[in-house]
Amino acid sequence: MARVTRTHWVESAIFLLIIVVFYGFSFEFNQPIEIYRYGATAWPRVIIGVLLFATIGNIWFQHKYGSSSQGTIGHNEDEADFSDPKTVTRMAGVLLTPLIFAWLLKPVGIYFSAPFFIAAVMWLFGERRWKAILIMTVVIYVLFIGLFLVVLNAPLPQGNVSPFYDISAWILTMNAKLQGL
Amino acid sequence: MIENFLAGSAALFGDPFTIGIFVFGVIGGMLFGAIPGVSMLTLAAILLPFTASLEPAQGVMLFAVIYCTGTYGGAITAILFNIPGSAENAPTAFDGYPMTLKGQSGKAVGAAVLCSAIGGMASALVMMAATEPLANWAIRNIGPPEIFALVFFGLAVASSIGARTIWKGWMSVLIGLLIATIGQDPVGGINRYNFGIGDLAAGIAFVPAILGFFAVSEIFVQAEKKASGKYKAPKVSMTFPSWLELWMHKVAVARSVVVGFLCGILPGIGATLAAFMSYGEAVRWSKNREEFGKGKLEGVISAETANNAATGAAMIPLLALGLPGGALTAMMVVVFQMHDLQPGPLVFMLSPDLIWIVFAAMFYANLSILIIGVVETKTILNLLKIPFQFLAPLILMLAATGAYINRGLVLDVIVMVLAGIAGYLLRRSGFSIPGIVLGLILGKIGEQNFAQGMQMVHYDLGTYFSRPICAILIFAGFVTLCSSVYRAFKSPKSVEE
Repeated sequence: MARVTRTHWVESAIFLLIIVVFYGFSFEFNQPIEIYRYGATAWPRVIIGVLLFATIGNIWFQHKYGSSSQGTIGHNEDEADFSDPKTVTRMAGVLLTPLIFAWLLKPVGIYFSAPFFIAAVMWLFGERRWKAILIMTVVIYVLFIGLFLVVLNAPLPQGNVSPFYDISAWILTMNAKLQGL
Repeated sequence: MIENFLAGSAALFGDPFTIGIFVFGVIGGMLFGAIPGVSMLTLAAILLPFTASLEPAQGVMLFAVIYCTGTYGGAITAILFNIPGSAENAPTAFDGYPMTLKGQSGKAVGAAVLCSAIGGMASALVMMAATEPLANWAIRNIGPPEIFALVFFGLAVASSIGARTIWKGWMSVLIGLLIATIGQDPVGGINRYNFGIGDLAAGIAFVPAILGFFAVSEIFVQAEKKASGKYKAPKVSMTFPSWLELWMHKVAVARSVVVGFLCGILPGIGATLAAFMSYGEAVRWSKNREEFGKGKLEGVISAETANNAATGAAMIPLLALGLPGGALTAMMVVVFQMHDLQPGPLVFMLSPDLIWIVFAAMFYANLSILIIGVVETKTILNLLKIPFQFLAPLILMLAATGAYINRGLVLDVIVMVLAGIAGYLLRRSGFSIPGIVLGLILGKIGEQNFAQGMQMVHYDLGTYFSRPICAILIFAGFVTLCSSVYRAFKSPKSVEE
């Protein structure tokens, strides 16, 4: 059992949880389809069954051979190194920042949140010169607005909370005026 | 055929306005193909209403040209930044991006340019020579059972790509297949796994998932390297592949043309499956399988030749039978209808001029990839000189906007980020991102065709084996699967612990 590390157990537990959740929720749509004998559940349940087999096989493999490679094609030999607490903290920031940005798109909108997001990503990637952060934030924001708003006229999230919505509306009005619409 | 081709070429280049439309299609297709999320379909959708004011031949030709160059355009960002412009360029990133990291970006992009052009031109020539007989053959012999068998065959090889072990390879493919079940079931339209979120009824869109698993997860991997001081900037290389190197891959090119063409001819399958299948076949036939995914030129060649070879083939069912094979060819049907025409056998008799202008334009569009692609590549490679801390927010902004634009859902941006986080953690644990994406893309096609096939054969599985093409594909899939099972229980080659 020594070859099965804590990471292996966590990994297997996550997959088993996915299997349980998806199998459990499959009862929600377990209803017959008149024109199709197998119904809507057959396909996902077959996948869940084979995934359970593969997960057990994976645990067996790890129990027997640990983290060994099987000579498959093109896998990444690198493994995450989370021994340094500083790396962990910075990576948590890197992973959470885009998630928070995505979550805020609906209430805040992209026009207001984008410059803060751009600057935050640069800082998280190790840039500490505030002038460089400021200049590059403006450059990327202008490029972004130029491409998606002015050239493509793409509908982007404007936010639904004041004053963010008002800021987005002002930017859109300015764009319309500039283009003579 | 040659006379018709020359007449089509003369009509194409004899009118300055038609030339203008052709050039616009070539450049527009390349640009929109290269911007993540804003695919050639976006451009086609924007242009659709305007085609009503064009001549029928000009309208159909414009869409055909966008199809050819748009399919190529996504390869550039796939190779340089691990951001496939669209699903059909995803396998290009498997080896293209590792080549960039190894300082061979010029070689990878050069191969993509040349092979896209070769694949597209070869496909255009076959299309000109054999549209009618091939379309008739396909419609008689290819049905849902064959398409399901093809998907099964494609998935069988996927378990050995990109994961640390066969077990993890299977788990990756199966997770992709499971994600594909989210949304409405393809037969009864019953909502599955929407977890109370209304927007999930439409399922997980490919674009946000692909952007997340490839681009966003790559940003996270590079961030980790930066944080731990292991980051190395990719070297910019302007060295194109030599003729000798390309000549050494002639078999891969020829095989990819055939695979791409055969996949492209099947309605509903198209360039995406062509690229994945061709990559899988390159792996299957290679003597150095372990080099794939680590920056092997053959990987880029196989994927890019096949996806462009599929473009000419996709026109066959459309023009000869009136059956669109994908979203863009479906829009072409609308262009035909706007001009009171119906694609199908009658078009060859009633509007031969239109057909030959389209054929000639597709040939020259693929040739243009070669000319414009080389010039464009030299310029675009300089993007790699931008420090990563400035490139990362640009890529994330492009990816977030690309994910949103497609359906106008913030949920898609959240899905993209979650896919990025999952992709990052799964990559670091030895799972296969290509496997997940392949499962996700083929899952819906597989289920839909399995269900249709079973209804067709009245639930008698034995009938599948009485259809020769279906039987061969299922047999080949089983052989691959059995060898995979055998390898899964074998002791590992090298023990790391």
